[in-house]
Amino acid sequence: MSVDYLNTITENASRLGMRIQESLSEHTREMNLARSNVSYLEADDSKGRNIRKQLDSSSDREKLDSMKRLIALISKGRNVSEYFAQVVKNVASQNLEIRKLVYIYVLRYAEQEPDLALLSINTFQKDLNDSNPFIRAMALRVLSGIRVPMVGNIVVLAIKKCAADFSPYVRKVAALAIPKCYQLDDSHLPSLIETITKMLNDTSPLSIGSVAVAFEAVCPTRLDLIHQRYRRMCKLLVEVDEWGQIDLLNLLLRYARTMLPRPIVNSDGEEVDHDIELLLSSAEPLLQSRNPAVVLAVVRVFWYAGPPSVHVKVVRPLLRLLHISKEVERVTLSYILVLARINASLFSPHYVHFFMLSDDSRQAKAEKIQLLVCLVNFENHQPIFRELIEYTEDPNDQVVADCIAAIGKCAKMVPESMQTCLAALTEMINNNHDVVVSNAILVLKYLVQTQLSQISGANAVNPSQSSLSIVSSLARKIDHIRHPQARACVVWLVGQYCASDQVTSAPTGIAEWAPDVLRKTAKTFPKEDVLVKLQIITLAAKLLVLNPAEQTLGLIVRYVFSLARYDLNYDVRDRARVLSSLLAGVGSPVLTPEDGITPFEDRGGVVLRSEQVKVVLFNGKTNATDDEHAEHSNMIIGALGVIVGKTTLSDTILPDWHEEGVESTLRDSPDDTPVSHASNVLSVSSSTGSATPVLHPSRGNSPSAGLSTTNGRKWASNLDDFFKEDVGSDNEASSEYENDDSDEEYEDQAEGEDEEDEHDEQEGQSDENNDEEENSEEGNEEDRNSEGNLKNNETGYEAFG
Amino acid sequence: MALDGIIILDHYGRPIIQSGFRSSTTAYSLLHIDAVNNALQKAERSADVDSVIYVPPSNTANGSSACCHVEVGDLRFLCPVSGDVDPLLAFAFLQTFIDILREYLGTVSAATLRDNFDIVYQLFEETLDSGGHPLTTYSNALRDIVIPPSLLNKLLSVTGTNFNSTINSGFGAGAAVGPFSSPLPWRKTGVRYNNNEIYFDIIEQLKAIVNKNGTVVSSHVHGKIEANAKLSGTPDCSLNFTNPQVLDDCALHPCVRLHRWNRDKMLSFVPPDGRFTLMDYTFSSNPLTSPTPTQQSLPSVMSSRSNLAIPFMIKAIVKLEDSGGSFDVTLTSRYSTHALENIVADINLGAGAGGIRCNVSRGSGGGGFINAGGSRNLDTSGASSGASWSFDAQRTVLRWEIPIVSPSSSWSLHGSFSTGTRAPRPSHAIRVRFDISSHTYSALKVGQLKVTNAKENYKPYKGVRGRSSGEVEWRW
Repeated sequence: MSVDYLNTITENASRLGMRIQESLSEHTREMNLARSNVSYLEADDSKGRNIRKQLDSSSDREKLDSMKRLIALISKGRNVSEYFAQVVKNVASQNLEIRKLVYIYVLRYAEQEPDLALLSINTFQKDLNDSNPFIRAMALRVLSGIRVPMVGNIVVLAIKKCAADFSPYVRKVAALAIPKCYQLDDSHLPSLIETITKMLNDTSPLSIGSVAVAFEAVCPTRLDLIHQRYRRMCKLLVEVDEWGQIDLLNLLLRYARTMLPRPIVNSDGEEVDHDIELLLSSAEPLLQSRNPAVVLAVVRVFWYAGPPSVHVKVVRPLLRLLHISKEVERVTLSYILVLARINASLFSPHYVHFFMLSDDSRQAKAEKIQLLVCLVNFENHQPIFRELIEYTEDPNDQVVADCIAAIGKCAKMVPESMQTCLAALTEMINNNHDVVVSNAILVLKYLVQTQLSQISGANAVNPSQSSLSIVSSLARKIDHIRHPQARACVVWLVGQYCASDQVTSAPTGIAEWAPDVLRKTAKTFPKEDVLVKLQIITLAAKLLVLNPAEQTLGLIVRYVFSLARYDLNYDVRDRARVLSSLLAGVGSPVLTPEDGITPFEDRGGVVLRSEQVKVVLFNGKTNATDDEHAEHSNMIIGALGVIVGKTTLSDTILPDWHEEGVESTLRDSPDDTPVSHASNVLSVSSSTGSATPVLHPSRGNSPSAGLSTTNGRKWASNLDDFFKEDVGSDNEASSEYENDDSDEEYEDQAEGEDEEDEHDEQEGQSDENNDEEENSEEGNEEDRNSEGNLKNNETGYEAFG
Repeated sequence: MALDGIIILDHYGRPIIQSGFRSSTTAYSLLHIDAVNNALQKAERSADVDSVIYVPPSNTANGSSACCHVEVGDLRFLCPVSGDVDPLLAFAFLQTFIDILREYLGTVSAATLRDNFDIVYQLFEETLDSGGHPLTTYSNALRDIVIPPSLLNKLLSVTGTNFNSTINSGFGAGAAVGPFSSPLPWRKTGVRYNNNEIYFDIIEQLKAIVNKNGTVVSSHVHGKIEANAKLSGTPDCSLNFTNPQVLDDCALHPCVRLHRWNRDKMLSFVPPDGRFTLMDYTFSSNPLTSPTPTQQSLPSVMSSRSNLAIPFMIKAIVKLEDSGGSFDVTLTSRYSTHALENIVADINLGAGAGGIRCNVSRGSGGGGFINAGGSRNLDTSGASSGASWSFDAQRTVLRWEIPIVSPSSSWSLHGSFSTGTRAPRPSHAIRVRFDISSHTYSALKVGQLKVTNAKENYKPYKGVRGRSSGEVEWRW
């Protein structure tokens, strides 16, 4: 009794201490008194000599002070490796604070001072036997972090020991140490694989994620080790900590793609292997994780391993990620874009989520515009159009350009919207902003070209009337179009589509607006950009071919050609020369040899006839094409390459499906059937399996005694035997497995039912309580307690007394 | 394939603290710092900097890498990643780390970080394994191994008392209160309170876009439930709602039992000690259509959206001329019961804007009319019944602030600006942020909270409150 009493007193005292400390810290956070640490960062180096003395002093306070000073120097980027010898002495300090800082220091400099680092190794080895799991874990972390090849063997032993620790936290650290050890010296591979194999049997949700990390780093190709653990890993998934879930999901996805049969879609529906179904159903609850990376890992599983019918489940969780933060939004948008390119119909009902905000980052804006284009369909084209048109007022030129290009693409994707689109674009030509105008014209050109090529095919000389009206309206605005590229574009359009059958037009064969464009541009020719000049010459040539007899036209053409002949730019001069030679056969009366157009000169070459010239000038124009999509085809979500736009970066390539998959019986785990079978090989391994997960609090005093290492080795060799037997494929063996399977299923069901019952009972109780008295919280303590214990056993944690 | 570490930069782009980098060269972290600083310098707006920056390899030995970065207050957190890592992992980890820092230091700023740099170093070590994998991120577990800064702690260390071994009495003795002894990784053991309390904050945010015609084109409400649990022992809570149908697409804290939630919409959990976010949700005003999103045709989407009204109305008349413009903006509250608080309306006037002249006034319900009279090239502000305006010349943002908009009152801002020689190119949107206290859009109601405890009997005090905020982009 008195002991109890004393205990409660000390407990209360310490609690009081905590409370005082908390409230004090609340009140004094702003006070200068609490700022003593700043001096460490701002201290000058003259105190450097003292550090050595302080480290050697006997007072913990001095030591702590000097360690903090050292860490401060590290963070300033100073090299303080000269103190290594003094620091290492403190590695066994009783003060945990000092020890942690020493660990930080040792980790940073161990590589530069391998000899001195070796001095500290004894201490770490001693710490591996400490009764405190935190100390054990920390010792292993430092030990594995010292990159001195000589310690490799010690580290392997330490990992082996910690892998069998009873604390899941230490096991987790042991698993994370494996890749480091492997990087240090890959000759340890066999023993490391052995440890991993053993650890794969771990049922603690805390460590299994790290085991997956070790597996991926050390022996990613040994997926055969996963077979028997696959189903258990799936079932464990929900319990694993969030970071572990990511690693485990990625491993399971890779396993599924390599080892499971691909889901088949046929007319009767979908044929999905039940192991894939298990993975999907185990992963589905994790779509509700608050961690965006977990959600994405599940999305990857659903998208890359699930049949098409489950793809819809990823949509809403992905949309939720958009609202977490600007950074997450930007990444998620890229991923959604990848998915939407594959199946736009999933996302198109949710197009409002991708409307642009004025303070979005430029990257996000660009991606939202691409997404809207991708999602546009007959039902939503009107609101999307309205949005895109509003975006053209954005202050950023690039965004405006993207928007207008997007409008053009939308019009192409939804032909019904062509008229609205053309109307909007023509209106934009009147805009005050140069960018809007020039981009609108570029898109108009693109649209006119595609539309014309669709309607009349190759016969571009007789285009349809509606797109001609666009060209004519553009032609009339030539004075207001200042952007060189846009101007060149209009001039080209005018030349290309100026042929007309109407008899009313002034120069026969030419639309009435065309010669005027030539007149205007001829006037401004010397001041035009090279791009525009080239197009003006082309226009002149085309008009002349269409109507060689017209006097005025001929004069203008002559004027243009003579200007071009003496232009400063040789491209312009060359073009003029080429065209004038081409026009030799046209036989226009206005052209004379002085203009460089020399129809009657003997030149030896072939002189084309007028019709032939027409073909050369007008036909064979390439149609506007967009080949953007080709490069996106093999992008994978969840990869860095998608985000930074460097496809070569993605070095983890999702494995292709193994069409048939491997035998499902391989995954029948003896773990689930502890009942021994005729085959003694199987019975040994099954006992190993069942020994692993259960943890007894009584083992607390001897952490390393938890698991014997010999079992693990047998386990690996057993597996080989196991395969041999399978390959031998005697009927007995297979029938045995079948048995196995059914047994396991039975077991599982029974377990499940047990749990259900527990819950139901409890449910009933709590419901009753609800009805009877609303506020009785203490109602079913007993039951809760029992549930708690049940859970503990399930998760493999040590039950807390 | 891992997170390489964390670098924290101050306002000027200089590194304050960085975790140990396992990679071979010291230049590695410097490369990333340079890449971020360069990108920041080049961008017109800091928001335009891509949050994932590609960093080309410095030499042939290193592979290429990328730098994910987040701005927090006056700091910028960098997380370089190499190999093929999902950037979401980096952002998720950064967010977790920042949350942990907040819990430890109160506010995260250059000053508090410098003040507690040893704590930050220890947190680096415990949260991120040197191989680049997150280690311990539950704050309950962390508090056992990295002691939060406090005055008492410092006083004791100054006087030379070995305080740490006192507070962690579990060390060495193997007692149950040592680190990692809890059966639930997110909750520490041996928690005692004299007053057992648990509080829930239901916080909702409206995000909406209104187009030029005044039609709401998109509106979403995202809510979260933040809890502060101060309960002794290992309490098992179950929380239900009277109207769970308004909750859609939920994200839950790891402590919540997923199958219970999916089965009977009951949040059953053993809470961590202290503050945590219990769940995030989306408010669906039209729950019938939500389960089958592909089946939704356009009209149903439209109708589900049209249900949410924006709590105010804006009439903006902006006239743009060759070298400037004038604006006349009126904001009218549509609510008849709740007041809108802390209204902040931002208008980006575009490059070169200056020479702002503004009047802020209150429409209906009287109130003074004071000419604020801003002068050219100076950031001035005028006040009228609490409302004020200011101009950030660097970002060319005109900000209009109204502390409180009482029900159905209206406020107006009119003035002019000039853009010198170039044509004005303002962003055609007014961004309005506001708060509404004691109100939730979804009217989510907590039905009952039951707390059961294995060992102790106590009746905790339970509190629930709601608050809302909004961010509306009103185009003109």
